[in-house]
Amino acid sequence: MSTAVQKPVIPRLLQAALVIAGIYAGFWLIFDLILAQPIPQSLMVMYMFFVVSGVFMVFTFTEESARQLIAPIRALVEDQTKKTLRNVVFIVVPALAAVAVFFQLQPSDEAPLELRSIHPAPPSSVKIFGKRYDLMSLENPYRHLEKDDPEQFQELVAVGGEVYIRNCQYCHGDKLDGKGPYAQGLNPVPLNFQDIGTIAQLQESFLFWRIATGGPGLPKEATPWISSMPIWQEFLSEEEIWQVILYLYDYTGHRPRSWEHE
Amino acid sequence: MINSLNQSGMKPSVRPHHSRLLPILLSMMVLCVGVAEAQPGDAERGERIYAARCMLCHGEEGDGMGAAAERLNPPPRDFTMAQYKIRTTTFEEIVPADEDLQRMIHDGMPGSAMPGWGDVLSEQEIQDLIVYLKTLAGLEEEEDGNLIDYGTQVAVSAESIEKGRVIFHDGDRCSECHGQDGKGDAVKKLKDDSGYRTWPRNLTKPWTYRGSNDPRDIFARITTGIAGTQMPSFDDPASAKRLSIEQRWHVANYVNSLAKTDKVVRPENTVIRALRLVDQVPTTPDDPRWQRALPTTFFLVPQLIAEQRFFTPSNDTITVRAVYNEVEIAFHLEWDDRTQSRPGDETAEKIAGPGISEDAVAIQLPIQLPAGPEKPYFLRGDPSHPVNLWSWRGGASDRAPGVSLATARGPTNTTERDPAAAGLKGAGSYRDGTWRVVLRRPLVTTDPGQDLQFVEGEFIPVAFSAWDGSNGEQGSAHTLTTWYWLLLRPPPGNKPWLFATLAFVLVLLVELWWAHRAQTRRYT
Ligand code: HEC
Ligand code: HEC
Ligand code: HEC
Repeated sequence: MSTAVQKPVIPRLLQAALVIAGIYAGFWLIFDLILAQPIPQSLMVMYMFFVVSGVFMVFTFTEESARQLIAPIRALVEDQTKKTLRNVVFIVVPALAAVAVFFQLQPSDEAPLELRSIHPAPPSSVKIFGKRYDLMSLENPYRHLEKDDPEQFQELVAVGGEVYIRNCQYCHGDKLDGKGPYAQGLNPVPLNFQDIGTIAQLQESFLFWRIATGGPGLPKEATPWISSMPIWQEFLSEEEIWQVILYLYDYTGHRPRSWEHE
Repeated sequence: MINSLNQSGMKPSVRPHHSRLLPILLSMMVLCVGVAEAQPGDAERGERIYAARCMLCHGEEGDGMGAAAERLNPPPRDFTMAQYKIRTTTFEEIVPADEDLQRMIHDGMPGSAMPGWGDVLSEQEIQDLIVYLKTLAGLEEEEDGNLIDYGTQVAVSAESIEKGRVIFHDGDRCSECHGQDGKGDAVKKLKDDSGYRTWPRNLTKPWTYRGSNDPRDIFARITTGIAGTQMPSFDDPASAKRLSIEQRWHVANYVNSLAKTDKVVRPENTVIRALRLVDQVPTTPDDPRWQRALPTTFFLVPQLIAEQRFFTPSNDTITVRAVYNEVEIAFHLEWDDRTQSRPGDETAEKIAGPGISEDAVAIQLPIQLPAGPEKPYFLRGDPSHPVNLWSWRGGASDRAPGVSLATARGPTNTTERDPAAAGLKGAGSYRDGTWRVVLRRPLVTTDPGQDLQFVEGEFIPVAFSAWDGSNGEQGSAHTLTTWYWLLLRPPPGNKPWLFATLAFVLVLLVELWWAHRAQTRRYT
């Protein structure tokens, strides 16, 4: 029984290979199958590089474990009884390397990877409607009515709804889920406001800035700069922008982040 | 006895509008009959859901006059008219079956702004809505309608499809509106009952069917017609074109077979792979060599971004192929358009909406290949990143078709240039509801400051625009794609072979050296 500690049932090398294969399968299962959002190959290569180095670090943590890991390889080279197997392995390994190099050198058809930050840090102040706004202190002028005059507040939400359905639903969808009739034809895709990662994380002043200045108003770090979000200060009044913001929160049931909670 | 109870029990809409007693009464009836399913709908609850979810489009009164009505084609349904497109009740009936309404609300109506609500509304909420919608047209007292007779379904077979093809074209029964190839290339100007422009369905694009292109669904549409539109019933006893059940199955199988699956958009296909040719590039759209190039299809979306915005497109996709040789690159653009819009041409003007203009298409390319991730603005570039626009126009009665070339620095900042100077050439053809256009240019030009210079192996941003001149599309009113990629795919040559052999030899040498060392260590 004591030898079981020395010699695990599954050889250490096989264990390492299995762990790596398992992680790869996990990636595939989650991103390709469940989320239907395959990771681009170049990114996958990078991830797997870290996974492989990580696994080897763990498996060679002590000298003993390192020795166990390479034991089967040493045996293969040194053990005369394994000669046939060695000859096979000695042909298969270079052949695999050759195949890998061959495919690596094929011209890639895969579109370049485009990473971008979706919620770039807002500038401290912006010029909108010819006026300068301090985004750090800007508040929705109608928000206080929610407590002070709920009836008038609901009326303003309704007006915001009309602004939304006339202007925004084509992209962001009338369920505010980012699946408007034309969403599929746009890249990046319009944001899903129902998702807890979008407007629920943001202040109303941030939305005001993003709606008024649209895709072209994004700062440099948000490149590639191709968001189709229109520049709404060209089409809507300041009041309408605040009203449509009321509607976004009212329909989704999210609360805007406010300064008090910071 | 049970039967009659069942009937009134299943008809929740017998209730007067604002009674409180009824829910109790109804639940008792349900208990009597022993129905275990969702409760019958409740109009009052339905009205509340309607106000929160549907009113903005379908209007406060249910008359379809919501805030966006004039920006949507087809417009939201007017529920006061009791006209439903999708139903499985017979031609004589007014009401659709509850299952029909359930399906439309749950799944939505593809090809229109009507989304499916199944992901946010419960089955009960949908039942409540159905009851409420019926009250808007006073249908609550109506008996359940008789369902259409499907007879025995004729299975899809080459023989049945061929029979269906003959019926489809016989006396222009269907092709009168749906065109020779089923692309909806109307020979008539069609309006629905409320005067809105309607277009016959492009039957080759199943994703635009309000129902689906399953033969059983098509059978139902042919049988009932599509209420409120020109799509007639072919089970109407008064119609000279009436079809028997069996004939309707054959036509349904034929229509089902029209689906053009090669024109389905595959979102993962973002790269147009230009094929390298050794001979001349094809110069006409019908050259069979185009079939060798890989087609890529993209969504066209209306221009919703800059003044003047455009909301009611008639085209939804464009299919692109590209080939090149040592000196020249050629694009093949193919898109369905129901009308050949030639201003000044009498028949074209009769079908067109007011203000006919030329059909057109454009390819947009950056003038400089972007060095980093930053591309020009996808709507006609921007001042620091100008774009080339290669256009082709379909011509008018007093103007030949032709190409034009422009440099754009933003939605409203366009400078026309001489296409001949850059060597831009084009040709187009329109047939049975489809435009096919070729645009070609030398890979390099004499003016690199004004024209993109194509490079093999580089990913080149490319975008497209299209104009349907009979649908009021001209100037900024058009459809467009976002940026995609063009790749001039060079032949790999023998480099991969060379380095693969080298890798093999190197790895083998390392192995041998290792084995050799292991051996010598053992014996010393
Ligand atoms: C043509 C399509 C289109 C239309 C119309 C449109 N949007 Fe957008 N919008 C987008 C896209 C695309 C993004 C995502 C941009 C990104 O990821 O950076 C976006 C982003 C946003 C954001 C940023 C959210 C965040 O979390 O940073 C807000 C807020 C927004 N849109 C509100 C609106 C409102 C309000 C309207 C109508 C007045 C509207 N949009 C109309 C395409 C559109
Ligand atoms: C974004 C606007 C919009 C919203 C919101 C909307 N609809 Fe619609 N709806 C439409 C349009 C547009 C049509 C017409 C489609 C057509 O004619 O092809 C339609 C058609 C319908 C039809 C007709 C089905 C048929 O067979 O003809 C029903 C029923 C319907 N909607 C129910 C609803 C209900 C219930 C809701 C709310 C839960 C709702 N709609 C919300 C736009 C909308
Ligand atoms: C007078 C013109 C006309 C004729 C004739 C006609 N159609 Fe249609 N058809 C239309 C119109 C218009 C529509 C689109 C209705 C709408 O706006 O939803 C349509 C829609 C359809 C649809 C789409 C159903 C869906 O789920 O969206 C099918 C299928 C169809 N027609 C099949 C046929 C067949 C088969 C025939 C011949 C047996 C035929 N049509 C004859 C005008 C016509």
